[in-house]
Amino acid sequence: MQQPAAGLGTEWSDLLFAVAEQLKVPLTVIARQAELGEMTRQEDAGHLQIVRTQADAAMQLVDSYLLGLELLRSQTALELEPVSISSTLVDTAHALTRFAKQYNVDIAVDVGGRYEPVMAHARGLRAALLSLGFGLVEAQATPTSGRRTPRLTLAVHRTPHGIIAGVYGTNDSLHADVWQRALRLCGRAAQPFTGLSVGSGAGLFVADTILKSMESSLKAGTWHRDRGLAAAFQSSQQLRFV
Amino acid sequence: MANVLFLEPNILLAQAYAQALTLAGHTVRVVQGAQEAIHAADTALPDIVLLELQLPAHNGIEFLHEFRSYPEWQHIPVVVNTALYPVRIQAARQVLEEELGVVDVLYKPTATLADICEAVRTYGAGVAGGLYPGSAS
Repeated sequence: MQQPAAGLGTEWSDLLFAVAEQLKVPLTVIARQAELGEMTRQEDAGHLQIVRTQADAAMQLVDSYLLGLELLRSQTALELEPVSISSTLVDTAHALTRFAKQYNVDIAVDVGGRYEPVMAHARGLRAALLSLGFGLVEAQATPTSGRRTPRLTLAVHRTPHGIIAGVYGTNDSLHADVWQRALRLCGRAAQPFTGLSVGSGAGLFVADTILKSMESSLKAGTWHRDRGLAAAFQSSQQLRFV
Repeated sequence: MANVLFLEPNILLAQAYAQALTLAGHTVRVVQGAQEAIHAADTALPDIVLLELQLPAHNGIEFLHEFRSYPEWQHIPVVVNTALYPVRIQAARQVLEEELGVVDVLYKPTATLADICEAVRTYGAGVAGGLYPGSAS
C-alpha cells in the first residue's frame, strides 16, 4: 500500500477495487450463516464462533483496504473532525477481544489521563486501529513472540509532537528498522515482517495508508516494555477549552 | 411480533435473515427485487420493510420512491441494510432519512443477525401512530 495504487494502472486499480467489493458478499454469507448456526446448533457453537470471528476479521481488512484504495485513487484526504481518541481505543479494543481470544492473546487498554479530542476522521481512525490490531494480534501469537503471556495494549499518551495513539504487544521483534524494511518490501515480498507475521502483514500497511490520509502515519514505538506501532495526532484547538 | 418484508437479493443471506427473524417470532417474507416487493406489500401490509439498496433492475432508492408514493404505505418504517460502504452513502443519507422515511441504516457486512432482530423489534411495532419520518399522518 506504500506505492500509490495508481502505479498499478487505473484498470488494475479498478479491478482490485471490484474484487474487494465482491469479496464482501461471501464473507458476509459465511459470517451470517455461522451466526445462524450458533443460534440453532448449540453443540457446534464454539466452532461456528471461530468461523464467524475470522470472517468478520477478514471483512474488516477488506473494508479498510477499500477505504485506503479509495483514498489513494481519489488523491483526497479524509475530512478531519474532533474525535475522542480514548473512546475510539476502547471501542477498538472491544471489537478485537473475541478475535484475540482465539489466539490466546489478552487485550488491554491504557487511556489513563485526560486527553482532549484529536483531529482525525472518526470512521477512518477506527478502521486503521482495527486493521492494525488484527494484524498485531497474530504477531503476538507467533512462536518468536517471546516468553511473556501474549498481550496487546491499546494506549495513548502525550508528547511534544502531539497525542500518540498506538497498539503495542509482547512480541519483541517490532523495531523501527523492521517496520521501515517492511514498508520497502510491501507488495514485493510474501512475508515482509520476518519474525512478526507469517503472512503479508496487509492490515498494518492498510492502517498506515488510511492514517496518511489523516496527515499522520505509523511509526514503531514502545509502551513500557512492549513494542508496537503508533501514530501522532494534533489535538483539536476548537474543543480544548470546552 | 412483526410482519416483516425483507428485500435481499442474495439468496443465502436471505435464508439466514428469514430463519433468524422467524426464530425471534416474526413473520417474514423475503423477496429479491423491487417489483416483487411492491406485489408483496400489496398482498399483505408489512409492519416493517428491510432492504438492500443494491437490487437487480430497480435500485433501492427507486423502490423507496415508488413505495412511498402510495399513501397507505407512507407510515411503514423502512430500515436499509446495505453492503454499500457508509462513506459512500453519506451524501444520500439525508434523502433516505428525511424524504424517504428510512428510520435506520445498517451496514450489512457488520450488521449481525442479532442487530437485524433488534432493528425489527425496535421499529417494527407501533407503526399505526405514524411515528416515523416520511409518515403521512
